[in-house]
Amino acid sequence: MDDVTGKSSHAPTPRRSAIDRLRQWFPVGLLALLCLGFALSSDRFLSVNNGLIILQQSAVLLVAAAAMTFVIVSGSIDLSVGSIVALSALGAAALAGPMGAWAILPAIGVGLACGLVNGLLFAYGKIPSFIATLGTMVIFRGLVLLYTKGAPVSISDRGFLLFYTSRTFGIPNAVLIAILAMIVAAIIFNQTVFGREVRAVGGGERVALLSGIRVSRVKLWVFVLCGGLCGLAGLLQAGRTMAATAQLAQGLELDVIAAVVVGGTPLTGGIGRIRGTVLGVLIIAILSNGMNMTGVDPYLQNIFKGLVLIVAVFLTIDRSKISVIK
Amino acid sequence: MLSARQISKYFGASQALHEVSADFHPGEVVGLVGENGAGKSTLLKVLAAVHPRSGGLSTLEGKPYAPHDQRAAERAGVALVFQELNVNRCLSIAENIMLGYLRKYRRFGLIDWRRLHGDAQVILDRIGADFRVTDDIETLDLGQIKTIEVARALATKPHFIFFDESTAFLNHGEAVRLMIVIRELKSQGIGIAFVSHHLNEVFEISDRLIVLKDGALVGDWPTKDMTEERLAELMVGREMVGGLFPPRACGPTGTTRIEMHGAVTASGMGPVDLEVAGGEVFGIGGLKGSGGDAILAAIAGIKPLTTGEMRLNGSPYRPRHPAEAWRAGIAHLPGDRTGEGVITDFSLLENLTLASRPKRAGIFSDQARMAEIASAQITALGIKTAGPEAAVSSLSGGNMQKVLLGKCLAVTPTLLLLNNPTRGVDIGAKAEIYRIIHSLTTKGLAVLMVTEDLPELLGLSDRVIVTRNGRISQTFERGAQLNEQEVVKWMM
Repeated sequence: MDDVTGKSSHAPTPRRSAIDRLRQWFPVGLLALLCLGFALSSDRFLSVNNGLIILQQSAVLLVAAAAMTFVIVSGSIDLSVGSIVALSALGAAALAGPMGAWAILPAIGVGLACGLVNGLLFAYGKIPSFIATLGTMVIFRGLVLLYTKGAPVSISDRGFLLFYTSRTFGIPNAVLIAILAMIVAAIIFNQTVFGREVRAVGGGERVALLSGIRVSRVKLWVFVLCGGLCGLAGLLQAGRTMAATAQLAQGLELDVIAAVVVGGTPLTGGIGRIRGTVLGVLIIAILSNGMNMTGVDPYLQNIFKGLVLIVAVFLTIDRSKISVIK
Repeated sequence: MLSARQISKYFGASQALHEVSADFHPGEVVGLVGENGAGKSTLLKVLAAVHPRSGGLSTLEGKPYAPHDQRAAERAGVALVFQELNVNRCLSIAENIMLGYLRKYRRFGLIDWRRLHGDAQVILDRIGADFRVTDDIETLDLGQIKTIEVARALATKPHFIFFDESTAFLNHGEAVRLMIVIRELKSQGIGIAFVSHHLNEVFEISDRLIVLKDGALVGDWPTKDMTEERLAELMVGREMVGGLFPPRACGPTGTTRIEMHGAVTASGMGPVDLEVAGGEVFGIGGLKGSGGDAILAAIAGIKPLTTGEMRLNGSPYRPRHPAEAWRAGIAHLPGDRTGEGVITDFSLLENLTLASRPKRAGIFSDQARMAEIASAQITALGIKTAGPEAAVSSLSGGNMQKVLLGKCLAVTPTLLLLNNPTRGVDIGAKAEIYRIIHSLTTKGLAVLMVTEDLPELLGLSDRVIVTRNGRISQTFERGAQLNEQEVVKWMM
């Protein structure tokens, strides 16, 4: 009698799939609407220079959100990304003196190590990812505090600053690095067997396991990859602020999760796109930038950001496919 | 007396009960027997108003009885004890017994614990429970937990209590204690009806037997006039559907593919010995949880053996992960289609290639090969779909099952493990799946199948073993005279 409940045995009606198709375009529509609105209310908004500023402001978020997309699509969550960014930025700042531009290596190394810890706790220690990364979020931040004792570690190495703050063909190097990272992330996500396995684990862990996917290993690599990308984000952050501080990237995880979700990736896992996340990041970055440009009361800005997040999810997710909303 | 007349029940398009009439008397124990899907549980659930009926009438003490929900049935005096354990271990024993009636125990808006405990204890005493309401619920065993559920049914002051496979999760000692409770209730004049797959229990405790088959009433008989053999015959009592099963293959053509020697798992399976050769369908029958699932799980790399050994094509085989089984050429079709087999939100293409996951250059997913596999399987299995990009959730049960089969066949396995390969599939798709399995075995594939569907077990298998309590209770070799009564006898 297991077939009689089959709510899934009904073919979707044409009307439903039309709505589905519309949903897919929602992030693009929202982005266009925001751009139009801000362009009409400020003549400085729509300029090449401001475009580059937006990209520069969003580089860190972009890389971290790409990382988070893997985690969320695999059905987990990583709350420690902000702390990993801070710890990696510290790694870069502390070694920028002797290593110059090569400080990218300790930054990514620190990120990979943090991701490995998260992955082991979650995939093999069987601690729910929300709890495991809530713990490591505090620990990684604590390590930054312990090392800096609250004082900023500033970067004065000329080689480092020259490389990470200059431009190539008029585009900031940090933006180029972020775009390159996005392309690599999108290739891993869309083109590799690993990417498919990540989606399968998030879509149905038991099905994935019984189909011969090494679920624990996939989960571990997802967190290691997330850590590594956050390490790169930490480097970009250090390059932008020219210092590592204990408060760096505090609360970044919330912006990152918001960007991924606004981009159309549900927290339930299995479904999602790097492309959507790029749009989500741009929506959040343009919203902040545009509100500053058009002189929206800074005390109101957070309220608008929150509203956009809620409305975006309200319109994007298909509630009929999710039986329990947690 | 509770009388049911011409009760029918539809679930969607499928009919679970077909104009069934039955009477239940106070102080009498009625055993409901029949195969899986015969409609036993459905009849009890309709009478206890857990499911709304689709047709028919019922009377209680001569008055019309048509409760619109379970609560109304309880008020009228009919209570049901479910098969599943429905005790909340976060609440106390007394709270669980009086669950649903806790509002009656309010005093100044708070719960009057003394009165609640008193009333709950009276009920426990009435059925001779060997624990008290004040005990810690965590110290109780499954049989005692079941007693709480009986007590909960009694709290509604019923004239009739229905038990739906209440011993299914109990061990022997716990089941025996439940039988004592049922006798005690009977002596207090309560009418009892119960469903059990354990025929020995049925014979031990019932006064009368009601036999159901395919949703229809076969008849009722006083238990003392019935023998186990006659009962098995009545339960099965169907003629083979001609043409559903392909003609038997010429038998094992290949060498031994998988062997188990003294295989034991931590879940209580074994020791089991078996050998499956290429070109044969090796069928495993038995009640749910009697060992067939465990044998498949061991070979599929889900549950490792604790002792004993397995050999694949003559070499030692010790899988520690399903990935190793798949890599060794063993495909596994699990029993829970949507929970274990396919990801319904994903497309046919993704599901059909979920196990094979073709690669190029070591890490990249070979999309061209994926498309090839998907269209080849869709054609070969005759999957009716809008296209490979359609979501599996848009398919019917039968087509979904074919996608699952296609996922397994896409790896070109040498051994195929099937767990209830046609569960919840309509008869047309069933016949097609049988034909596919048959044609694969003629090409040398070895098939090991666990099924609760008796006609399928007998119609498709070249050899059959029956499991009981984790061990093989009987083996039917090739050419043995197979009949359902004989097989059922070895399950019980």
